[in-house]
Amino acid sequence: MSKAPDLVVVRDLKKYFPITAGILQRHVADVKAVDGIDFEIRAGETLGLVGESGSGKTTAGRVILRLADATAGSVTFEGRELIGLNRGELRPLRKEMQIIFQDPYASLNPRMTVGSIIREPLEIHNIAHGAAADERVQELLRLVGLQPQHANRYPHEFSGGQRQRVGVARALAVGPKFIVADEPVSALDVSIQAQVINLLQDLQQQFGLTYLFIAHDLSVVRHISNRVAVMYVGKIVEIADRDRLYDNPLHPYTQALLSAIPIPDPDIERRRKRIILTGDIPSPVNPPSGCRFHTRCPVAFARCSVEVPAFNEYEPGHRAACHWVEEHGGKAPDLTAGSAVVA
Amino acid sequence: MALLEVRNLKTTFKTEDGIVAAVNGLSFAVEPGSTLGIVGESGSGKSVTSLSIMRLLASNGRIESGEILFKGENLLLKSEAEMRKIRGRDIAMIFQDPMTSLNPVLTVGEQIAEATRLHLGLSNRDATAKAVDMLRLVKIPAAEKRLKDYPHQFSGGMRQRVMIAMALSCDPAVLIADEPTTALDVTIQAQIIELMNEMQARLGSAIVLITHDLGVVAETCENVLVMYGGNMVEFGTARQIFDAPKMPYTMGLLESLPRLDQAGSRLVPIEGQPPNLLRMPPGCAFEPRCRYRMPICKEPVALYDFGAGHLARCFLYDQRAEGQKTIPAENATLIPGTAVAPPQETRR
Ligand SMILES: Nc1ncnc2c1ncn2[C@@H]1O[C@H](COP(=O)(O)OP(=O)(O)OP(=O)(O)O)[C@@H](O)[C@H]1O
Ligand SMILES: Nc1ncnc2c1ncn2[C@@H]1O[C@H](COP(=O)(O)OP(=O)(O)OP(=O)(O)O)[C@@H](O)[C@H]1O
Ligand code: SF4
Ligand SMILES: [Mg+2]
Ligand SMILES: [Mg+2]
Repeated sequence: MSKAPDLVVVRDLKKYFPITAGILQRHVADVKAVDGIDFEIRAGETLGLVGESGSGKTTAGRVILRLADATAGSVTFEGRELIGLNRGELRPLRKEMQIIFQDPYASLNPRMTVGSIIREPLEIHNIAHGAAADERVQELLRLVGLQPQHANRYPHEFSGGQRQRVGVARALAVGPKFIVADEPVSALDVSIQAQVINLLQDLQQQFGLTYLFIAHDLSVVRHISNRVAVMYVGKIVEIADRDRLYDNPLHPYTQALLSAIPIPDPDIERRRKRIILTGDIPSPVNPPSGCRFHTRCPVAFARCSVEVPAFNEYEPGHRAACHWVEEHGGKAPDLTAGSAVVA
Repeated sequence: MALLEVRNLKTTFKTEDGIVAAVNGLSFAVEPGSTLGIVGESGSGKSVTSLSIMRLLASNGRIESGEILFKGENLLLKSEAEMRKIRGRDIAMIFQDPMTSLNPVLTVGEQIAEATRLHLGLSNRDATAKAVDMLRLVKIPAAEKRLKDYPHQFSGGMRQRVMIAMALSCDPAVLIADEPTTALDVTIQAQIIELMNEMQARLGSAIVLITHDLGVVAETCENVLVMYGGNMVEFGTARQIFDAPKMPYTMGLLESLPRLDQAGSRLVPIEGQPPNLLRMPPGCAFEPRCRYRMPICKEPVALYDFGAGHLARCFLYDQRAEGQKTIPAENATLIPGTAVAPPQETRR
């Protein structure tokens, strides 16, 4: 497969949220939500971004779209630096980059009809007005599998899956190239998730869209992504092509995360070896020194608590940040050794 | 005799829009030491079932009919005072959100000790010792010190462990766990599931595990009950349900799932929307979404017995549907008296 050009390039991106205290609102600490991440998103691909709650996925997505300001680092879109652009300069770029939110209940204005929700970005960006806008709204509704007459209804009259379709239609209205989909199916029933996933895949084919697909469900991410990046407490610990990451994870955290997902098949479940991590997820206010995973890592050694591991490339496109892997020439530790077989 | 048996349970709620029958004629049994998984979509009646068993329904809820037999005694005939003794001692419950069921102004140690004092009649000193033991058992580090901490001083995963410690402190015969890991991250979820499996092996409690995660069910449950629209649509061993599902909803659910061990291919969604309890179809609750639906499906549908304990509620297995069947399907034995019409709209 020839490599598509990079559409989005993220370099050493950081986002800290200050914590203040006292009447003087003194700056006492920072939530290091995103603390130096690097990756590229290729035109036309889906990059999956996974990680546990609080690892910084949403913050990363928002900073990349400039919905929040970066603390440091660089994000380029089609070669153009986004960090530092002012509102006016960003405006034409907003058409190119859109977001779909996690919560289909909270992300739509309850007082607006579905038609006007989808129509709003068309008018803001001067794409269509009047009858032309009406027509485009109808077309978008059909595109996402809703009925044109749904335009006159309010969000509360729709189910979760249907509301998420409205969110997709709103994001598509301006004809974007790049969409950050932030947990677009997490709030939906299992039987409805597949409808929305298929819709996102069809639209990608039809319009050549590029997705950053954020989720904590690794099965969904494996299904939809070309490549996958794994986040842990503000850092990306591993990135690789989808099958490579799932079949050959290098980082101990990726291994543990994959082995923690139950597979809906009792025969497989009974044969599988599991890696059960001990301890809790650390706070991004005081992340552990060195490798952030060292407090839970089964193979951590002296160097891990002292030195931040480099994000090395071990195979083309497969990068991981782990001292153990580095010292063993790109080999993954065997964490299942000694752990119990699930009975 | 089953340890816990639910017979023909019907639970309704009074709402502004009318009477909602959240559970409509549900029957199942739980054997000692076994794990039963209850799955189904949001609103299918899973939590209402467990709250009915505990007799902890919201004030607008009412158990209209049925029996809940615990060791052969009908819990629906017990007084509130008798129920209070049964809850926690005989049947314990773990809720989805531990913060709603832990008391924020009492230390964790006081809460666990209170249960054993009340139910087992332990002295203060023994109850405290037992609390330490339980916290150790659920692997809370420095258990003795943590006894004096309040719930908010624990992380989500640790609170869930405290809940498990509390629920198991009186060796209940039945533990009902309503989505005990849904709010937790996967690596923490794996810890809790392992803990529950370990506890069961050790204490021999029967577990009723409510979840929407079929992976968790495959990992922990011997038997599985699938709910749809307030009733059981399929019941069987985990093998039966995952290897040879009979009810089209169960089949659809399994097909629509992206799986970690199978990449790529297009998902097969279940079309349409989950049912609205106020506007149920007249026959099979799944009929409007079913790709195998037949004309007969607009009539109330019974349970069919496939042998070896496998039951499904679907006309595909009825000989009266011969000639209408949309896929080849064997005829199974109709269980008399199990045909229930979904609740119809009853406006006031
Ligand atoms: N506006 C904010 N102010 C202060 N802290 C914030 C803010 N937004 C996010 N955070 C913190 O930054 C960290 C990362 O949050 P983020 O929402 O990016 O995580 P996430 O990976 O998307 O998690 P989830 O899976 O729960 O959505 C968390 O500790 C969060 O509490
Ligand atoms: N107090 C109440 N008043 C009115 N309706 C209620 C009440 N409690 C539950 N219901 C209704 O009963 C039905 C079943 O609810 P239940 O909580 O059992 O669903 P569930 O299967 O547990 O779903 P979830 O997976 O979302 O937890 C729902 O339609 C719900 O709206
Ligand atoms: S760097 Fe060390 S602590 Fe971090 S994952 Fe690798 S081995 Fe574990
Ligand atoms: Mg998020
Ligand atoms: Mg529930």
